[in-house]
Amino acid sequence: MIRRVAFNLFAWGIVLAVAFPLFWMLVTSVKPQFELFRRPPTFLPETWTLEHYIRLIQDTPFLTYFKNSIILSTATTLVVVAISTLGAYSLVRFKYRGRESLAFLVLFTYLLPSVVLIIPLYLMLVSMGLSNTIFSLVIAYTTFALPYALWLLRSFMAGIPEDLESAALVDGASRMGAFVDVILPQLLPGIISTALFTFILSWNEYLYALVLVNSDSARPLTTGVMNMLVSSFNIEWSLLMAASVMMSVPLIIVFAFLQSYLTRGFGAGGVKG
Amino acid sequence: MQASQTVLERRYAALGLLLIAPTVLVFCAVIVYPLVSAIYLSLFSIFTPTLQGEWVGLDNYRTLLAKDEFWSSLVNNLIWTVGTLTLQILLGVGMALVLHQNIWFRSLARSLILFPYFISTVVAVLVWKWLFNDLYGILNHLMLAVGMIDMPVDYLGTMPNAMISVILVGAWKFFPFVVIAVLARLQTIPDALYEAARIDGAGPIARFFDVTLPQLRDVLVVIIMLRAIWDFKEFDMIYLLTGGGPITSTQTLPLLVYKEAFALNQMGMAAAYAVVMMLIMLVFMIVYIRRTRQEADT
Repeated sequence: MIRRVAFNLFAWGIVLAVAFPLFWMLVTSVKPQFELFRRPPTFLPETWTLEHYIRLIQDTPFLTYFKNSIILSTATTLVVVAISTLGAYSLVRFKYRGRESLAFLVLFTYLLPSVVLIIPLYLMLVSMGLSNTIFSLVIAYTTFALPYALWLLRSFMAGIPEDLESAALVDGASRMGAFVDVILPQLLPGIISTALFTFILSWNEYLYALVLVNSDSARPLTTGVMNMLVSSFNIEWSLLMAASVMMSVPLIIVFAFLQSYLTRGFGAGGVKG
Repeated sequence: MQASQTVLERRYAALGLLLIAPTVLVFCAVIVYPLVSAIYLSLFSIFTPTLQGEWVGLDNYRTLLAKDEFWSSLVNNLIWTVGTLTLQILLGVGMALVLHQNIWFRSLARSLILFPYFISTVVAVLVWKWLFNDLYGILNHLMLAVGMIDMPVDYLGTMPNAMISVILVGAWKFFPFVVIAVLARLQTIPDALYEAARIDGAGPIARFFDVTLPQLRDVLVVIIMLRAIWDFKEFDMIYLLTGGGPITSTQTLPLLVYKEAFALNQMGMAAAYAVVMMLIMLVFMIVYIRRTRQEADT
């Protein structure tokens, strides 16, 4: 019994240590500025305040960044999931020449570093006159999101028994009819978890946003918030921590409600590869 | 009958090609074309603001191999990758073993552990910069209070502190990936194996090395390869924490590519760095892809 309690305390000690930076972010964001410079630091805020959140929304372009990030991540997710659902169906269930090489190419690009593609992509988008737009970022994000989504969906698709489709075909359904009526409902959990992962990936992307967008009107949260750190003369840590919390809120929502989907996605793509 | 079969098969093949067409088009436009032009660009000398290029052949590669900065960045890249990967694996496997036990509020503990992996690197960096703050950071305060240090430490501005800090924050951010993967595998190890080992008189440590570890071997190999590739090409974490500094002490190859292209305005040279970096990574990538294919075949 004592050993069990000791083990539990030990385990929770580590868990809390790992989670401490996140706790500290939350605490700092609700402390008034003057309390940050108290020594020794206060563990819990003496005075709770939401002034930084209000300032964030009223005095900084945070909401524009937030809106941009929402548009950007949603658009990327929709485009990528639509294309890759059809693509994964084709890769798993159809036979034609070049299918294997294509699957190999998908895996290869999934591992490709962004810095290799970023120079030609930058040149390409600048010459098309698309730099400084959200659209250019959607194009750029496709480079990592599409191989990723395809790879995930491919393994989800492979998990659906082939007999289901055959049965529908025997019953007289067309191939596309069977796809819509039989495959899609079976694939739905896979599609949802792929969409969530793609959304998170786009939400958190930094490098392409740094290189391709240089104006506040199209900047997403990652580069926008980082700019607030770099451009301020006097670093306001409470404000930055409030921004960090707000930036993580959509992820927390995604994470809390759909944890089972997330772990399933991990098993299918992230690990089995 | 035979003829209609082939007609149907041919029609299916056509449908299959139609379905994959959008993927192929997008792939060619945003991945294959840029990849080929990256290699092509590396044979030019290009000044970024004007985008005027001049053919220089393999000169960029010759300059690159003779440059100290390239070799030191490569060494930094290897130190960062090996350091953070080792910590991720040790922490990850350890944490997975702990979370596999029946501890209080297990699902809450699992969520808390996974969280660093899902937040943006920007958020992680901001929080850690605040923790690392030399005057008001909690880390310096705690370490002073415990007596581990006598003076506030500059975590990111001096060496070797900067490299150690980057490696530690990297391990904190990415070890949950290892936890999830190992945990999923742990749950599939049959209890009978542990029973048998217990009957044979194996203690907890012997059981770990004789039962758990051999069972985890395959998944660990995959995790190590994947994470090695991802850590090797990591840009955000290092760029945001130290910017490659102090001076170039934590500059890795991805940072070098970025600097060359967008700070020094040498696109062609940057492309050459990127291509060389890709060639180094290709070794890992091919090993990983081979392995995945073998698994698919069996």
